[in-house]
Amino acid sequence: MKKRSAFVMIIPGLVILAVCLFLPLLRVLIPSLHTGEYPLSAYVTFFQDEYYRKIFVRTVKVACLTTGFCMVLGVPTAYFISRCSKKWRGILLSVSIFPMMTNSVIRSFAWINILGSNGLINRLLITAGIVEKPLKLLYTDFAIIIGSVYLFLPLMIVTVAGVMENIGDDMMEAALSLGADRIRAFMKVIFPMSLPGIIVGGILVFTGTLTAYTTPQLLGGNKNMVLSTFIYQRAMTVGDWDGAAVISLIMIVVTLAVIKGFNSLAARLDKRGGDHA
Amino acid sequence: MAYMTLKDIDVRYDKKKQVLKGLDLEVKEGELVSLLGPSGCGKTTTLRVVAGFIEPESGVFSLDGEDLTKVPVHKRNFGIVFQSYALFPHLSVYDNVAFGLKMRKLDKGQIEQKVKNILEICGLSEFEKRFPQQMSGGQRQRVALARALVIEPKLLLLDEPLSNLDAKLRINMRMEIKRIQKKLGITTLFVTHDQEECFSISDKVAVMNQGVIEQFDTPENIYQRPKTEFVARFIGFENFLSLKKEGNVYKTEAGAVFTVETVKDGDFVAGTIRPEDIRIAGEKEDHNVLSGTVGVRTFLGKSYQYEVLTAEGKFLVSRPAEEVYEEGSTIRLYLPESKLILVNK
Repeated sequence: MKKRSAFVMIIPGLVILAVCLFLPLLRVLIPSLHTGEYPLSAYVTFFQDEYYRKIFVRTVKVACLTTGFCMVLGVPTAYFISRCSKKWRGILLSVSIFPMMTNSVIRSFAWINILGSNGLINRLLITAGIVEKPLKLLYTDFAIIIGSVYLFLPLMIVTVAGVMENIGDDMMEAALSLGADRIRAFMKVIFPMSLPGIIVGGILVFTGTLTAYTTPQLLGGNKNMVLSTFIYQRAMTVGDWDGAAVISLIMIVVTLAVIKGFNSLAARLDKRGGDHA
Repeated sequence: MAYMTLKDIDVRYDKKKQVLKGLDLEVKEGELVSLLGPSGCGKTTTLRVVAGFIEPESGVFSLDGEDLTKVPVHKRNFGIVFQSYALFPHLSVYDNVAFGLKMRKLDKGQIEQKVKNILEICGLSEFEKRFPQQMSGGQRQRVALARALVIEPKLLLLDEPLSNLDAKLRINMRMEIKRIQKKLGITTLFVTHDQEECFSISDKVAVMNQGVIEQFDTPENIYQRPKTEFVARFIGFENFLSLKKEGNVYKTEAGAVFTVETVKDGDFVAGTIRPEDIRIAGEKEDHNVLSGTVGVRTFLGKSYQYEVLTAEGKFLVSRPAEEVYEEGSTIRLYLPESKLILVNK
């Protein structure tokens, strides 16, 4: 009875998803499996092409590095925030979400001003006499990564801080009393206990970066394309809708594979998962 | 010779509220000492100063002649059992207990031997693969104890370790703690607000009030000879009368004369006595007597307990069940000098 009423309640959402997401998606994706001489030949061709492969590798690399940087920067920040008094926690969390309140186009333009050949960093370096000619910072993978970290770091902080808030001070104190210094206590106790949050944050950042369009478009330019900007180019500039569908499916598969990977990593690291009481 | 010494410790929170005021405490090697007091008296703060979680504003904490006041927690080598147990939920019982040894970089064989040994002492051998959340309160408590003991600490600190257990388990566990503590001969500080628990387990008790130790003595002495009115009240004395010294005797404000066995320093003191030690005065007794009116009577099986209203306030008096006094009647209470205890106000 309970199950049935719950099922009734998800029907509206299910209908919207089916009509607006799954059906169009299938209509685009299924033909892409059959284009070319043999089934999946479009996909084989994609990975045989060196240029395409480069875009694929760049996309995955940017997403992985962004996720990594967000973890390295976000986890300690989240721990710091979670140890503050309630009042400060609220203030610091609002401050860390603050960047999310601006449009991503504007945020990327800010980075163009900072990274450009006439931008803040280059002018500082030249004034200080460290370099003679401006460095090429903009329109590189590095620029995309910086922009994406800036874009998605708040997600990581908020997710991880939420989990860490529930870890009592006594955990740290117990580890200290057993002879661990603060860093070891953090790595051996706080970090593994926060893994569920870090994994969720990681998935959010990774999928976010993988599918982001504005940031790689503005900071990477046309020469440093990633899959999302490449889809746009195939469909809108070249008019190759089949090609765009192929890339879309590849992105979906990568996303699902990474989520699966993160989850099984979490299960392996957290032995409690298997034989819970 | 004192093994652990706290000398003139001051602790303040937020620069304002002073929690510990010049606290002194000396503990001998191998002793189990309890810090007893109501909540907010500073007993947990004292423990946290010893543990190293709080650095005192002034004063010295030393152990075995070594000043440890500024030594960080992880270099002190003390075993701590937290009120919440603070077991690591992501580690099995074995790994929880082995944690401290791994931090000390012992080799695997040594770790295994030490962990198995302490698990056996604590009666946990069969649980080593379990996770904390799969265990009962009493079992978790023992894991916490094993984890604190396996590092062979110089001091064992217990912060209200029994308060989360039910009554029956609590009695078993406190015997267990005492047994293990004596077996390993480890100097122990035990924080509690439960006087029965504290008396049953401790070699010595420090009764604390508002950041100072009011009395530091054996449980027997504290029970039989409390030194201050606060201690007396905390351990259950309820009958108090204000006395003023006049020569060799004491007088109440109304002029009734009381004699005692040992005179106390100070002119103004309080006298206290247990309900069962109060007798009914005969014709010949002319001092140590209070008259009053019988109030509420409670039947306690072997005896009746009466509330008697006197000029000095309400007194509780226990009399055998055969002797019955009616409500409203007037009686004369005799407080024998051998039973009347003088305490500082």
